[in-house]
Amino acid sequence: MPSRGARPEDGAGLVPADISTPHKEDLSSKIKEQKVVVDELSNLKKNRKVYRQQQNSNIFFLADRTEMLSESKSILDELRKEYQEIENSEKTKVKK
Amino acid sequence: MEAPPDPGPHASASASAAAPLRAPEVARLREEQEKVVTNCQEKIQHWKKVDDDYNALQERLSTLPDKLSYNIMVPFGPFAFMPGKLVHTNEVTVLLGDNWFAKCSAKQAVGLVEHRKEHVRKTIDDLKKVMKNFESRVEFTEDLQKMSDAAGDIVDIREEIKTDFEFKAKHRIAHKPHSKPKISDVFEADFANDLKSKDLLGDKELWARLEELERQEELLGEIDIDSNTDTVIANGDDTSSEEEKEDQNINVNVMHQVTDSLTPSSCYKNVSNSEIFNGQVNRQLNCSINGSNSYHSNEDEEDDDDDDGDDGGGDNENDHDTLGTGDNSVPTIYFSHTVEPKRVRINTGKNTTLKFSEKKEEAKRKRKNSSGSGHSAHELPMIRTPADIYRVFVDIVNGEYVPRKSILKSRSRENSVCSDTSESSAADFDDRRGVLRSISCEEATCSDTSESILEEEQQENHQKKLLPLSGAPEAFSGTVIEKEFLSPSLPSHPAMAHPMLPTIPERKEVLSEVSEETTKRVSKFKAARLQQKS
Repeated sequence: MPSRGARPEDGAGLVPADISTPHKEDLSSKIKEQKVVVDELSNLKKNRKVYRQQQNSNIFFLADRTEMLSESKSILDELRKEYQEIENSEKTKVKK
Repeated sequence: MEAPPDPGPHASASASAAAPLRAPEVARLREEQEKVVTNCQEKIQHWKKVDDDYNALQERLSTLPDKLSYNIMVPFGPFAFMPGKLVHTNEVTVLLGDNWFAKCSAKQAVGLVEHRKEHVRKTIDDLKKVMKNFESRVEFTEDLQKMSDAAGDIVDIREEIKTDFEFKAKHRIAHKPHSKPKISDVFEADFANDLKSKDLLGDKELWARLEELERQEELLGEIDIDSNTDTVIANGDDTSSEEEKEDQNINVNVMHQVTDSLTPSSCYKNVSNSEIFNGQVNRQLNCSINGSNSYHSNEDEEDDDDDDGDDGGGDNENDHDTLGTGDNSVPTIYFSHTVEPKRVRINTGKNTTLKFSEKKEEAKRKRKNSSGSGHSAHELPMIRTPADIYRVFVDIVNGEYVPRKSILKSRSRENSVCSDTSESSAADFDDRRGVLRSISCEEATCSDTSESILEEEQQENHQKKLLPLSGAPEAFSGTVIEKEFLSPSLPSHPAMAHPMLPTIPERKEVLSEVSEETTKRVSKFKAARLQQKS
C-alpha cells in the first residue's frame, strides 16, 4: 500500500466531465490529455492509489484505479467521436 | 462559437464600404455591436463554467453522505497534500457571501446549489438574449452597408447645425453685482443706504395696518398663543421685528412688528388678499428696517429670543449672549409664523405655494445671522424673486460678470463678488454656532445652504463695515431648524426675528413655515414660557 507516490500523478484532475463542444483545436488538445491519462492509469501498479480531484477545488478523493481507467477511456472515446464529427462536417462544408 | 468567425469578415466588409452612408461610422457601429456579441459570448462561457462547477458540486454533495468517511488528500497550500479522512460527511458549511457561512446538511446544501444554478441559468439566458439581439443588429448593419454599397439610394439625412447656435443657457447675462431689479420701487429706496425717516413713516402706516389685521385675528381667535405679547414678540422676531426693534428700541415699534408678524399669518389664513398685502407690508417694513435700522439692541434680541423661546427660544437666548450680541442688524430675510399649520407658502402674489424656497430662506436666515455681527444698513439687496438672487450673486471671471450657475455653491468660484468677506463672517458664525452645537443636526443641514448665504452675508458685511453697529445683538442664533424641532429653543427664531429680509414673497413661506412650527408647537411654547416665567 505504498500508495504515496502514485497519487499525485493520477490526481490529475482527470475527468473533464463535460465535454463542452469546443473548437477543433481545443478538442484535439483534450484528446491528447486524455490519452496521457489513460496511459498513465493503465501503467500504474495494482497497489497504487488513485485520487480524483474535485472540480474547482483542491481536494482529492480517493478513487478506484480500474474505475478511473475505464472512465477515462470512455471519455477519450467520446472526445474522439466528437472530433470526428467536427472533421466530417468540415469536410462536407468544403465539398459544398 | 458561432460569433467569432463573423466579426472578422464583417469588419473588413464595413471598412471597405465607402458610400454615402459614411462607411467608417457604419463600420464602427458594427464593430461595437460585434464587441458586444463577443463580450456576451465570453460571459456565457464563464457562466457555463460556473454552472458546470455547480453541477459537479451538486453531484458530490448528493453522494457525500453515502459513506461515513472518505479517504482524501488534504491540500496544504497549493502544492502540498497529505492524506486524510473526510468525516462528518453530512455536515457542510455554505458560504453565504461576505465571509458568512451557514452550517447545513448535505441535502440542504444540494438545495442551495440548485437555487444558485437557477440563478446561473437565468443569467446565461439573459446573456444569450442580449447576444442574439446584437447579432441581429450586426446583421442589420451589415445589410445596410451592403445596400448602401450596392445602390447609392440610401443616404443618411443630415442637418447642419448653425455655428452660432447656442443653447439658451449661454445667453444668460450676468447682472451687475447688487444691481437692482427693474421693479425697483419704494423698497429699494428703503434699502438704499440710510433712509430711516421714510422707513419709519412707512412703517408706522404699515404697523397700523398690521395691528388692525392682528386685531382681526385675535377676534377670530385664530391665534393660539397664550401670552399675546410674548407670542407677538416672538412673531415679530420671526418675521421682522428684531431689526425694527433694534433701530430705536421702541417698544411701540416692536409691538407694531409683532402685529405685522402676527397679521400676516392670520391674514394668510383668513384672507388670501390680505396675505399678499401683509407680505408687502412686511417687505416694506423689513426693507426700511434693514436700511434704516442698523442694529438691534440686545434687549430686543433677548426678548425676541424669549419669544422665540416658545419655539426653542431658551437656547437662542443663550446663544445670543454667548455668541456676542454685538452684531445685530444684518440684512435679513424675515420669517414670520403663520397660523397655518400645514403648508409653507411663499407669497409670490399669485397664491402659489413653493416648498423648495424654504431652504433658500433658511440660508438667508443664516446669512442674516452670520452677518448679524457687523450689520450694515448699506444696500440690502432686495430678493423678491429667484432672479433677484442672481443679482446678488454674481461671479467675476476675468473681470467680467458671469451669472452664477448655482447660488448654493458659494465656494466654487473664489472670484465671486460676494465671497470676500463671507468666509470670515462664516467662520465667526461657525464659532458662534459651536456654542449651540447641541442643535447640530439642524446646523449641519443649514451649513450647506449657509455657503450661499455667506456670500450674501459678505455683501452685507461690507455694508456693515460701512455702517458699523456697536453692540448690536445677533439675531441669529446660529441654528436653522427646518421642520423638526425637538426643543423649543431653536435657532430658527433668530432668523425669524429678522424681518428685514428683502424677499417678501419668500418671506411668506418662511412665515408659513414658522407658523407651522409655531402652530404645532404652540403647546410647547407655552410650556417653555411657563417654565421660563416660573
